[in-house]
Amino acid sequence: MQRDWIAPPAPGLALRLDGLRKQFGARAVLDDIDIDVAPGEFIAIVGRSGCGKSTLLRLLAGLDVPTAGDLQLGGKPATAHRDDVRMMFQEARLLPWRTVLQNVQLGLAAGDARDRARDALAQVGLADRASDWPAVLSGGQRQRVALARALVHRPRLLLLDEPLGALDALTRIEMQRLIESVWRELRFTAVLVTHDVAEAVALADRVLLVEDGRITLDEPVMLARPRKHGAAAFAQLEGRVLERVLGEAPPDVAQVAPTRLAA
Amino acid sequence: MHPTSRSWRAIAPWIVPLAILLAWEASSRSGWLSVRILPEPLAVGSAFWHLLVSGSLLHDVAISTGRALGGLAIGGGLGLVLGLLSGTFRTAETLLDTTLQMIRNIPALALIPLVILWFGIDESAKLFLVAIGVFFPIYLNTYHGIRAVDAGLVEMARSYGLKGWPLYREVILPGALPSILVGLRFALGLMWVLLIVAETISAQAGIGYMTMNAREFLQTDVVLVGVLLYAVLGKLADLVARALERRFLRWNPAYLGAPA
Repeated sequence: MQRDWIAPPAPGLALRLDGLRKQFGARAVLDDIDIDVAPGEFIAIVGRSGCGKSTLLRLLAGLDVPTAGDLQLGGKPATAHRDDVRMMFQEARLLPWRTVLQNVQLGLAAGDARDRARDALAQVGLADRASDWPAVLSGGQRQRVALARALVHRPRLLLLDEPLGALDALTRIEMQRLIESVWRELRFTAVLVTHDVAEAVALADRVLLVEDGRITLDEPVMLARPRKHGAAAFAQLEGRVLERVLGEAPPDVAQVAPTRLAA
Repeated sequence: MHPTSRSWRAIAPWIVPLAILLAWEASSRSGWLSVRILPEPLAVGSAFWHLLVSGSLLHDVAISTGRALGGLAIGGGLGLVLGLLSGTFRTAETLLDTTLQMIRNIPALALIPLVILWFGIDESAKLFLVAIGVFFPIYLNTYHGIRAVDAGLVEMARSYGLKGWPLYREVILPGALPSILVGLRFALGLMWVLLIVAETISAQAGIGYMTMNAREFLQTDVVLVGVLLYAVLGKLADLVARALERRFLRWNPAYLGAPA
């Protein structure tokens, strides 16, 4: 099969966030965020729910506008690269009234759109479901279609907003492998938001922790790919990040624990 | 077991109507039921046949259907356009919705005296009544349909570069379509009700004219033919609405159609 379109016209986009701040009303959800991401790097952002990690991703996607600070993609203001950025949402967000193939074609100009969509579907292993309605697919298959829909645009920055959060454990690992393999093939820059530390460690070159709207940990993951969930080095790193995530637990949780021990 | 149950399901719904028909025929023949109240079913059948052969039945049905569809086109079209406007543009909603919601509370039939004063008793009065009756179900359901479109899908489509008409065509209209079709079904039901009333007031042709004329001459069989015709036409309208739903909502698990 001819897949020359799959080689991206340009490598992944560098990402530079400088003093980024996002306020909703008087409350600062993100404050003074500085991040540098190299082209083609895979970073994971972890944190408790409500820490601002999803807001950060929405800023990168252009779905929200930062209150202050600078956001650059590939050395230019983020708005210059809108078409190079694609997002996978927590839910697949497929159009239920379009077939799988039509969903993947969404937003593509005519011409070779159909062939490109077919190739993208083949890449996520769903070529045979092209003419099905999304309603008959499983949750994992829907997210694979959503991945194909993102890939068909040859993104230079792929944003993943907990896209695997609702999947069962086995489907999740399958999807992680799929995402890793297309990332290695296409070399786009990837930013994954997740609350699953194991997922972050399995996929990312770097794991960032967001707490109370700030980056409080920036941990490189120096493990060879593909990574094995059970491996000792993997477990050690996962444990360290997890501890760090839980480390600054709110005081009421810390107080409950000894009471339970005493009982 | 399967074919048996399928043929049973095909036959079963007709058992009760058939029994009623037989009981009716029997009580008419025994003289228990006066012809002045209800003619026997066979008489209704033969009245239908005579009207059909003379051509006056088809003429009346055609006139009535024309009025119904004309009113639907005017009222439904306006309802669709204004519903799309109110649903899509905040300004249009502010300007229109309160007014329309107030007018909605007036039953269309309460306007009959005014309608007669305005339009007299000719065609435009009937069109007006049907149009105003079908306007509201279509307007309301279109408006709510647009409003209820999944915001997540709209956000996704925008982030994939869709805006303006393509966004409307790909996401907003199909998302509102189930609701619009519900509105259409309501409208089709109301359409006949309003037409019956309008034609009963006064008409020189149409099913209503036929029945009112027959009443003058105590032709209860012809009156019944008219009543049954309305029932059949109402059922037909409903079948059309269902067919539209099955065609346009075949992606919906509730309709389970095969993809095109």
